[in-house]
Amino acid sequence: MTLLAPWALWFLGALGAVVAFYLLRIKRREAAVPALDFWLDLAGRTKVHTLWTRLKRLLSMLLWLAIVACLVLALGNPMISAGRIKPRAIAVVIDNSASMQTLEGGSNTRLKEAIKAVTDLTSRRPVSDEWLIVEAGRRAQVLQPWTLDADSARRAAEKIEAFGGAGSLEAAVQLASQLVAGKPDPCIVVVSDGAAGKIAQIAQADPRVIYWPIGAKDDNLGVTRLAVRPDLRRGNYQVLLGVTNASSQRIESKLTLSIDGSPQSIEPFAVEAKGTWEKTIVIDPPAGVPARGGVLKATIERPDALAADNEAVTVLEPTRPAVIWLVTPSENAYFFEQALSAMGPLVSPEQSLTMTPEKYEQAAAAVLNAASKTGAGSGSGADGNVGTAPKPADLVIFNGCTPRALPSSGRFVFIGAWPKEVGAVVAGKLDAPQVFLDPRPHPLTEHLSLQGARLISAKQVTATAPVRVLAATDDGKPLIFLSEQGDRQSLCLGFDVLESDLPLRNAFPLLLRNTVAYMHTQTQPWLQTRYAIGETIAPARPLPPATTSVTLDVLRGGAKPETKTIEVRDGRFVYADTLAGQAVRLTVGEDESFAAVSLLDSDETRIAPVPSPTSAAEALGLSRRLFAVVPWAGLTGLVTLLVALEWLTYHKRWTE
Amino acid sequence: MDQSAPIPTAAPPTTRAAKGDLFDGDYLKKLEWLSLIARQLVQGRRQALRPSVKKGASIEFKDFREYSPGDDPRSVDWLAYARLGQLYIKLFRQEEELDLWVLLDRSRSMDFGTPNKFDHARRIAAALAYIGMSTMDSSSIAPFGSELQQGPERMRGKGEVFRLLDSLRSLKADGTTDLEQSVKKFLSRVRRPSLAVVISDFYGLQKARAALDRLRFLKHQVHVIQVVSPWELDPPIRGELRLVDAETGTHADVTVSDTMLRKYKQAFEAFTTELRTYSMGGSIGYDLTRSDQAFDEFVKGVLQRGRLLA
Repeated sequence: MTLLAPWALWFLGALGAVVAFYLLRIKRREAAVPALDFWLDLAGRTKVHTLWTRLKRLLSMLLWLAIVACLVLALGNPMISAGRIKPRAIAVVIDNSASMQTLEGGSNTRLKEAIKAVTDLTSRRPVSDEWLIVEAGRRAQVLQPWTLDADSARRAAEKIEAFGGAGSLEAAVQLASQLVAGKPDPCIVVVSDGAAGKIAQIAQADPRVIYWPIGAKDDNLGVTRLAVRPDLRRGNYQVLLGVTNASSQRIESKLTLSIDGSPQSIEPFAVEAKGTWEKTIVIDPPAGVPARGGVLKATIERPDALAADNEAVTVLEPTRPAVIWLVTPSENAYFFEQALSAMGPLVSPEQSLTMTPEKYEQAAAAVLNAASKTGAGSGSGADGNVGTAPKPADLVIFNGCTPRALPSSGRFVFIGAWPKEVGAVVAGKLDAPQVFLDPRPHPLTEHLSLQGARLISAKQVTATAPVRVLAATDDGKPLIFLSEQGDRQSLCLGFDVLESDLPLRNAFPLLLRNTVAYMHTQTQPWLQTRYAIGETIAPARPLPPATTSVTLDVLRGGAKPETKTIEVRDGRFVYADTLAGQAVRLTVGEDESFAAVSLLDSDETRIAPVPSPTSAAEALGLSRRLFAVVPWAGLTGLVTLLVALEWLTYHKRWTE
Repeated sequence: MDQSAPIPTAAPPTTRAAKGDLFDGDYLKKLEWLSLIARQLVQGRRQALRPSVKKGASIEFKDFREYSPGDDPRSVDWLAYARLGQLYIKLFRQEEELDLWVLLDRSRSMDFGTPNKFDHARRIAAALAYIGMSTMDSSSIAPFGSELQQGPERMRGKGEVFRLLDSLRSLKADGTTDLEQSVKKFLSRVRRPSLAVVISDFYGLQKARAALDRLRFLKHQVHVIQVVSPWELDPPIRGELRLVDAETGTHADVTVSDTMLRKYKQAFEAFTTELRTYSMGGSIGYDLTRSDQAFDEFVKGVLQRGRLLA
């Protein structure tokens, strides 16, 4: 037998005190009575044999000695083991991921069971053990540094707050393994539900890891994929949905999609056991949403063991029509203007301009000047409309002319002429060539058919830099090519469109539409599209130098957003209040960026606990206890019995 | 349990509660009120007119008997002789004086309890003596302890009341009780039958019974009043105690448990029952009074029950 708390043996000194009390004569209080003989007669009737009286007194003393011995033994927390249990350094890693919020019955979560397990473990191990508590939640962190005080370890474990995001179990175990280095007989106890099987790799990588499994339920459906992209050509959004079934039975349910709190679509689905259902759907947003953006929420209408993954949010980013500058001699503008006006929501007719080459130089200078004043260097698509400066162009079409200086960034279409910076020069003239598309697919030539189109003449092109040839003559001479140089993209046509039968085939407007859709990039966002629960939101790139604060709106569907002003230092900020799923909108100057905070983690959705191949209690020497559940309960019960017996036999004169 | 020798210096703690005058103005008023009640009860009869068990000369006819030589010829019923032709003598109840003697236990066992038993006993004794002075030939209080106190005086008339109260006021409880010895001494002084009221706690009942039997044998009308304190009825003690005798100062170490207390109460009940049963069997009047009972209520009850004045 080993005492977990050997210091309790010091209390055995109380046995001597008990004997001393019985050896000392009792100091009796005096009480006057009118006739002592009366009491003596009475006492004579109740008097028992002196020997029995002495024996009874001795019995009382023996009972009290047994009571004290039992109390000391209970205090010592005894345990029986085959061999002596040696002190260990035990690092306890508590999984605090979203799956640990699974309800195991009533309001009892896996995290609470994990805390109970830590309490059980720390109270059943010898007091000479050294403890370290590490939380694997938002990030791996030490909750209790090495201590010999098991109570401190228990208190640290009890202070863990529930976290609804993906856990950092590997990082926590790695941290624990670094901290147990140099400790005597170390082990790392991972109290977890198995993290969808990650524990197996963790235990395999480090033999010191002892897995303490938690949980039993697996009934859970969770949204594990929710992604949205705008379809500029059609003016709607494509939504990718994914649902994972963690249970061992087929489940049929429904997924409700709502935009800004208003239901938009209900998707029935059926998921096989342990399977995943995925689907891409197209939703037509309510009026105004493409312009201002919105919050898309996907909700599973079925209660299960884990509520955290039953809904997810994402952002419908606003789409902005392209601003096109058409630089052309006035007499040739009509055809191109008609082609652009047929592109619907893809092009903004109000902000697009048609100008002569001379006017272009002035407009470009005005835009450059305005951009330098605001300091917003967001590229060719950045908003910089200051004073009378026109809206910067997302795409500039040069028809038969070239700019004086080609900007280092931007999107350009050159028809019939191009500057040499694009990586190609004119080496001659081709007469009546036929156009053949490159058979390799490219977004610019999607749905396009130019086979056999005839040109009156074309320029013979010699590439001086790598270009992508999209169309060529039958003998391979480039006629249409794409030059992509850093942040500058240039589509060059080596012929005059009007001197061909290309327009008659309706091919050029389609090529032009593909070009606008391909080259028109939205405003470069300040944020990532999605953040995980608990992940810190920070700008994806440095903010403009003059920025001292930004506004971050927490979007709540159709409700009024919660606005927060965040201080900016050295072009950066940090927003860490991301413990719940939410959508946020960041406003920097006139720019807006959107991001969603969602769980969307199939590992957390797969809540089925991973069984442990070995018994953690046995590995930790807990199963060899004399009293496995409550070690001192039996002893204290015995003490109660002995006290009652002593009371009855001596004080209550039960034997009289 | 350990009984050891007496401890002369270890006096039992006093439990006397009365701090003022034992016989104050209020007491005297109550005394006069009791006297009135007593006089009403005797219904105007003259004092000292008590029927005697002896036959003698009085106006109250009792019986006939045949004439025998030597009888007073004046006693012959000549009318009966005229009718029956035989001589019969008329017998009349003899009238004689009746004295009241109050034998008051003044041992230290009486100086006990809250309220104090001895104070209560003295008040009752004084009340009975005063009533005796107003309705009988004479009254006297005879305190006793281990023996009868010297010089009990017979007092006649209500004018003696202050002398009576002064003597009781100066009376101190002391010593042990020996009722048998005290009664012997009492009987050696008082030969004429009288009404003897014994006020005591009657501990040592065997000796008390012998004394009471002796009083009855010599034709005294006996009435006993047992005085007990609330403490004796329900002792508020428990645990490992050294019990000290209030009279002798001897002590014994006793563990007073709930069981023992329960048995004590049963034994005390049996003790009072035995005294009452003995009294009823021997035509002895018996009353029990608690020391926390109002003395006038108690005396009034005794009078109304007719045990003293009937």
